[in-house]
Amino acid sequence: MTSIEGVAISKSFGGVRALNHTSFAADAGEVHALVGENGAGKSTMIKILSGILRPDSGTIRVQGRETTLDSPQVALRLGIGTIFQELTLMPYMTVAENLLIGREPRSGGLISHSGLDMKAHELLDEAGISGIEPLELVANLSLSQRQIVEIIKVVSRRPRILFMDEPTSALAEQEVAWLFGLVRKLREQGTCIVFTSHRWNEIKDIADRITIFRNGENVGTYTAADLSEQEAVERMTGRKLEMLYPEPITLEDPAPILHVEGLSAPALHGISLTVHQGEVLGVGGLAGQGQRELFLTLFGVRHARSGTIQIGGKAVRINNPRDAIRHGLALIPEDRKTEGLLLPLPVRQNLTLPILGRLARSGFIRRQQETDLVQAMIQELAVRTPTSDQPVGALSGGNQQKVLIGRWLLTRSRVLLLYDITRGVDVATKHDIYELIRRLCQEGHAILFYSTDTEEMAHLCHRVLVMREGKIIDELHGPNIAPEAIVAASLHVAAEVTIDASTQVSSSEVSSS
Amino acid sequence: MSTKTTSDAGASRGLAAWRQLPRSQQGMILAYVAVLLLFVIGGIYRPGFVRLDNIGQLLLLSSFTGLVAAGQTFVILIGGIDLSVPWVLNAMAVLLTTTSLGQDSRAWWVVPLCLIVGALIGLVNGVGIVFFDIPPVVMTLGMNGVMQGLVLGMTGGFTCPTCNSVAPPSVQGIFVGQFLFGLPNGLLVWIVIAIIVGVVLSLTTLGRRIYALGNNALAAYLAGVNVRAVTLTVYALGGLFAALAGIALTAFGQQATLGMGDPFLFDSIAAVVIGGASILGGRGNYWGTIAGAIFLVVLRAVLQEFNISEAGRSIASGIVILVALLLYGREAREV
Amino acid sequence: MSATPASGTRPARRTHFEARLNYYSAQNVPLLLSLGILLGLILIYFLLFAVRQHRLPGNFELSTTLNNTMTVGLTAIGQALVVFTGGIDLSVGGIVDVTNSLAAVLMRNNPGSMLGVSLLVILVGAGAGLINGLFVTYGRLQPIIVTIATLTIWQGVALLILPQPGGAIPPPVTAILAGNIAPLAGLPSSVVILVLLLLLWQALRRTGFVVTLYAIGNDERAAHANGAPVNLARIGAYTLGGAFSGAAGLYLAAVATSGDATTGSQLTLTSIAAVVLGGISLFGGRGSVVGALAGACILTLLLNVLFFAGVNPQLQEFFQGLFLILAVVISTLIRRLLQSGRQVGGGSL
Repeated sequence: MTSIEGVAISKSFGGVRALNHTSFAADAGEVHALVGENGAGKSTMIKILSGILRPDSGTIRVQGRETTLDSPQVALRLGIGTIFQELTLMPYMTVAENLLIGREPRSGGLISHSGLDMKAHELLDEAGISGIEPLELVANLSLSQRQIVEIIKVVSRRPRILFMDEPTSALAEQEVAWLFGLVRKLREQGTCIVFTSHRWNEIKDIADRITIFRNGENVGTYTAADLSEQEAVERMTGRKLEMLYPEPITLEDPAPILHVEGLSAPALHGISLTVHQGEVLGVGGLAGQGQRELFLTLFGVRHARSGTIQIGGKAVRINNPRDAIRHGLALIPEDRKTEGLLLPLPVRQNLTLPILGRLARSGFIRRQQETDLVQAMIQELAVRTPTSDQPVGALSGGNQQKVLIGRWLLTRSRVLLLYDITRGVDVATKHDIYELIRRLCQEGHAILFYSTDTEEMAHLCHRVLVMREGKIIDELHGPNIAPEAIVAASLHVAAEVTIDASTQVSSSEVSSS
Repeated sequence: MSTKTTSDAGASRGLAAWRQLPRSQQGMILAYVAVLLLFVIGGIYRPGFVRLDNIGQLLLLSSFTGLVAAGQTFVILIGGIDLSVPWVLNAMAVLLTTTSLGQDSRAWWVVPLCLIVGALIGLVNGVGIVFFDIPPVVMTLGMNGVMQGLVLGMTGGFTCPTCNSVAPPSVQGIFVGQFLFGLPNGLLVWIVIAIIVGVVLSLTTLGRRIYALGNNALAAYLAGVNVRAVTLTVYALGGLFAALAGIALTAFGQQATLGMGDPFLFDSIAAVVIGGASILGGRGNYWGTIAGAIFLVVLRAVLQEFNISEAGRSIASGIVILVALLLYGREAREV
Repeated sequence: MSATPASGTRPARRTHFEARLNYYSAQNVPLLLSLGILLGLILIYFLLFAVRQHRLPGNFELSTTLNNTMTVGLTAIGQALVVFTGGIDLSVGGIVDVTNSLAAVLMRNNPGSMLGVSLLVILVGAGAGLINGLFVTYGRLQPIIVTIATLTIWQGVALLILPQPGGAIPPPVTAILAGNIAPLAGLPSSVVILVLLLLLWQALRRTGFVVTLYAIGNDERAAHANGAPVNLARIGAYTLGGAFSGAAGLYLAAVATSGDATTGSQLTLTSIAAVVLGGISLFGGRGSVVGALAGACILTLLLNVLFFAGVNPQLQEFFQGLFLILAVVISTLIRRLLQSGRQVGGGSL
């Protein structure tokens, strides 16, 4: 029986089509995987079916009945629960208050704090988790602990339809097994479960059916057993696997450009690494293991407690982003909308912000020189914009990302720190970015690369370092790094919380390569 | 037939062009249009209202708000606010009169002194905000109290012997009197300031960094903007312009008085917002603020023509801000 | 909170009381700091008073101090509710202007009028707050500028109601609100009111309404995703805030026994100072009304301390401003000290 269905859903964000008369349906008592590249429309569909976004057109049916999901409240009442990629926890409230928000135990009409504490303990016990203190502020939890709290919060509401948008990005192997145990129990009880993931082996492990999205359209629904990874990737990207990624460049006798020795900071412990000219060095591991802190510390946003950084053989001190830029580093952050671009400002201003000093004479900007540089970069990256004065917020996601990359290319940096830069970018632009990375390698730049898409990392990087709890625990290299190897190296570590043995799924049910 | 369709086409093209404009510019244009409307209304009611000398006087009155609002524009553009303008203004006015004692021989160093001290006070605001994480509302509020206490305490409640000094005549001459086309001198000062502020905001690296910071402090920081330096500079400018307004007011009214700065807190913020700037920062410019300042003064003048009491004028000012906000100050809805 | 070894056994659970104590003290550092400052000021006040007057402060001093505090305290409570959502209310002073003028003009010396006008005046405050709430929520306008506009409007309205200071508050009202209760050994009524307010808060903070206010201040998008009634709660915060400002206006009139359409204006900024001194973050999401009341007491006591220390009364504003700034500086430094020992959790920049 179809639990939830979106029929001919269309959704645009300021001229960019995220969903194009796309349909999607999932049944009761099944685990349904929704896969596709970043920017394919999966999250948008889930947000619409959870009542967070309203579709521009199309119908939604819940348990066969047509409904409009006006708000998350309505969705919750209809039994729809969602674990979003961006967690919905209140940082300054306790775990207990977060777990039970909206359904706090009361005595005499008022919320009972002892009741909150007891019920929270109950929920955690029921889920088989210990090591998370109900009275702890969520702000003090690690990312994987937060993910677990969010999962328990949503699952304990006993939804009939459960959406999970990349629920395992920060979870270790045991924790993933725990989650899948929960999911299997829910499936037995008739819950309809829809989830997205980038990890193929997880999908194969737990999903009954798989729906593939590409460029905002539903490419097809398949039985999980019948679909091979090769086929899936081809359908997700529209081209053959071999044609997706350019051949990595290897320079003759490359000199080391970035050399880090013993770098320590809060959440980083003695990181040492070297990136050579023309090399793409990947930084992998589960989400929230210090990769972000590494990038931020190298760029001067976080203060290093000890350790040295050398660029081009010269030791440098980096106390803030200005220093970093001066020494030839560039950082392209994860969320271009909140950390990178200034959306209401014109493309021109976004492109030249870090190099204003170079463009100005006694504080006055030399317009002509700026225009020349800006036009050249727009052409080089094929940015689709009517003029350079167009507010960057009006451009499509892919073009916005190009502007951001263009900004850093203009700084003529030797070392590029790329943090998840293909997130939310359409397929065509992604391939442009891969070509660009290849060209940058050829020109002798050094690149430090982080991505949540292990497939991407495996194909683009010459070497991959795997991080865990702020340390480098493994290094993978060789002509062909397999994505499963990266995942395996990340997963085989201790869980952050204690999972009750009785709730754990036996290892024979967990397939890991 | 054809003329009708051409004008229709023209109108729809005009509408499309209007919609393309950023909201802050729409706001600025509407504010200027509103000012014109007010002059029309005033002129219909009393033809003398639109005589050149009256317009000149109204514009001169607007210049005081305009000067304070210049500093406020800078501060609001980076997403902050300066609640210390009333008593920084007052303090520098008192400093001017009691230090110069009305003597022209001292004017050459007293005036720069007041400007520098004003800027330093603004800088202290900036230090508290940048280095101690004090919210701008709290820091500038506290500073306002500090300046108020200092002025009252050091002048003994304004009973000190030098308190009745006047501003140096040469300084008075800069603001009073007419130099060009029958327009008051103070207006020329304002025009010069407007050009300088406009140039800084649109043509310099500081201006670019201010808009970047106001739009998204984090993104600006990651792009290498020295957020601390820009913030300190902007708050120093806030203090500087408050001091300048204090000097101008004292020159115009000859003496400093207690509480002379109080009306300018509301007016400076209102002028910036009516002029189309966003209170959250990153959007707007000084030409809009000018429109806002003139609008407030002319609105009150027109209401006075209709014999509306001060209370009524106060109510009208508040309603006007709400209307302006509803027209062009609304945040986008979360899709 | 790092991992315990995967041995399958759970660590011994601390007693519930211990855990709650630990949590309360850790999470409420700003409030405790504020109460500490209050305590310190009380001690200094007692000391200075004893030195000057050769006796300890008595019932009369308690009464006048609390009466002076109560008006600020009521506005601080209203401001706190709005600040919890991450907003701010600058129209507080204007609402006080209107309500105290209205009370002075309308109240007659009969029980019906006294009670009726008192309620009316609080309702008027609530109405003003409602208007703020509607503009902020459905108009999607920024609180700081909306409330600056409504402040000006209410200031004008107050002047229309009462162009010159005047009007009269019937003595019984003053006696009840600001007097002493003879049968209870002359206990000031303001103490009773204070206790009632504290009890009211103990109940209020355990309602879904206040939890939603905190949620909005924490992360509005997340609150919305959890199904919290974000719009209604926010409007409620501004409305209730306005009601408290209205009550403050009533109280002010009772203490002054007449009305004045301009005395309220300074209360706007004082209410913000009280909230900040009470350890409440202007970014919202946390804090306690107890802190707001403590902040109001701190401000009044500071004036008393300055008086008995022989400080030039004209320097009052100077010291208040300086005190406010220093208090925030100190709390920032303490916060940094505490955080340097703490592990950085996952999340944003």
